[in-house]
Amino acid sequence: MTERYLILSDGTTYKGQAFGSPATTSGNIVFNTSVTGYQEIITDPIYHNQIIVFSTPTIGAVGVNHESYEAILPTAKGVVVREVAEVSTNRQRTLSLDQFLRFNNIPGISGIDTRQLVRKLRTHVGPLNASIVDVADEHAFDQLNATVLTNQQVAQVATPRPYANPGMGHNIVVIDFGLKSGILRELAVRGANVTVMPYLTSADAILNLDPDGIVLSSGPGDPRNLPVSVLTMIKTLETRIPMLGIGLGHELFALANDATIERLPVAHQGMNHPIREIITNRIMYAAQAEEFGVDRDSIDRNQLLITHIDLIDRSIQGLRHRDYPAFSVQFFPDAAPGPWEATQVFDDFIELTGTRGEQR
Amino acid sequence: MAKEVVDAMAMQRALTRITYEIIERNRGISNLVLIGVKTRGVFLAHRIATRLHQLEDTVVPVGELDVSEYRDDVSVNIPVSKDAISNLTAPITDKKVVLVDDVLYTGRTIRAAMDAIMDLGRPNSINLAVLVDRGHRELPIRADFVGKNIPTAQNEHIRVSVEEVDQRDSVEIVTADEATK
Repeated sequence: MTERYLILSDGTTYKGQAFGSPATTSGNIVFNTSVTGYQEIITDPIYHNQIIVFSTPTIGAVGVNHESYEAILPTAKGVVVREVAEVSTNRQRTLSLDQFLRFNNIPGISGIDTRQLVRKLRTHVGPLNASIVDVADEHAFDQLNATVLTNQQVAQVATPRPYANPGMGHNIVVIDFGLKSGILRELAVRGANVTVMPYLTSADAILNLDPDGIVLSSGPGDPRNLPVSVLTMIKTLETRIPMLGIGLGHELFALANDATIERLPVAHQGMNHPIREIITNRIMYAAQAEEFGVDRDSIDRNQLLITHIDLIDRSIQGLRHRDYPAFSVQFFPDAAPGPWEATQVFDDFIELTGTRGEQR
Repeated sequence: MAKEVVDAMAMQRALTRITYEIIERNRGISNLVLIGVKTRGVFLAHRIATRLHQLEDTVVPVGELDVSEYRDDVSVNIPVSKDAISNLTAPITDKKVVLVDDVLYTGRTIRAAMDAIMDLGRPNSINLAVLVDRGHRELPIRADFVGKNIPTAQNEHIRVSVEEVDQRDSVEIVTADEATK
């Protein structure tokens, strides 16, 4: 196997074996602790421009299948594993992980001591960049240090044009900030008639579609880098139409209601955090991909209720507006990948749109 | 044949949604009083109060109302008395009262309940929360918070079971024969 190198902008070099595409790439390096769901993770637009380190020892044992794509094309920049499974078997398998990465021009590197690497990433303050390269020389580090990654990730992955995902049920508008397919799948299961709108749409244009409900989708990057017009739009819409925010959508919902966002000391990337639904004291698990969170002290309790918290670091996982039928969750309730127990968030949302629809 | 239309999970979710809607409608819960209609409405009212306490760390008083003697369709008209409401420590004058019942049907229970509440004081407002609205109203009464609308035929019955007395949570549609068993 061809030797390749993973180099970090702090000067560290890791030697490993190549798999996937032979391309040289640079990106922001993050780790994910999920044991399953690597295909959904690699294809989720939230990992745009990121090199993903999987802490699970072996990745790729079930290959890649048609049902688990979270975007048409993955935009992750690399995959780092300790071991990639040589043989992949699964009833639904259509490609091996190696083939899939090759087709999508994403390099992978195996044979890395991911335990050590994860420990380093955990303790590192702020984002860290990395490259997967053929030769780890001075030139490669110069290239890496000269790399400037965009802070406008949403603009790179979100749809520039509206499109429909027709159904026979409630009329739902999804505002795309880098939508993962799981959100559309869960709405489709509930029969919703979905229109996906670009994030730079005006509130009026959305109201003209006469929606029963609005979903602010998940997406990549720092919500504070989005134009202020997005917050104005959310503020107008939340008073008129039932609203659900997910991931980045949750952070934007918080910003629109005067809370502030901060970078988490340790990002949540995985599905092992217990989340408490405060109102019922129920504990659930869901997939998380969070680098930012809502600052608890900044929440105006006269506007927002805290509905969910993470039991590991007490971070805010859910909010709800006191005066309007609008709520949001930081975690991913669409179970793609992840446990199914949080999908009731979509049931709650559809019920909310249903009851309000009759009153309107 | 009994047909389950709401399972335990869906009932929990409905009560959660109603709780949020109560907060939304009343702009907070500082002035709130819950009154459950016996038997099952009382348990539902306590569950809503527990949820409000979880969220807001405020104890909302829960009263228990027994209207069985005052229903105009059950017996001859006996004047409604304030003694029908028990366990309520706080006065209800100027409070926002939320009446909680399991099934909204003809509306006669609710009318009797309102009479009993009015007898006790003059609340700022009375809202109605029900787990199931099955239609067939005989009075101009509607619920403000509905767990689930279940259209039914006149000869069908709705059976609500709650953990506290029935050892399980569910809502079923049953035939008239089954209902009397």
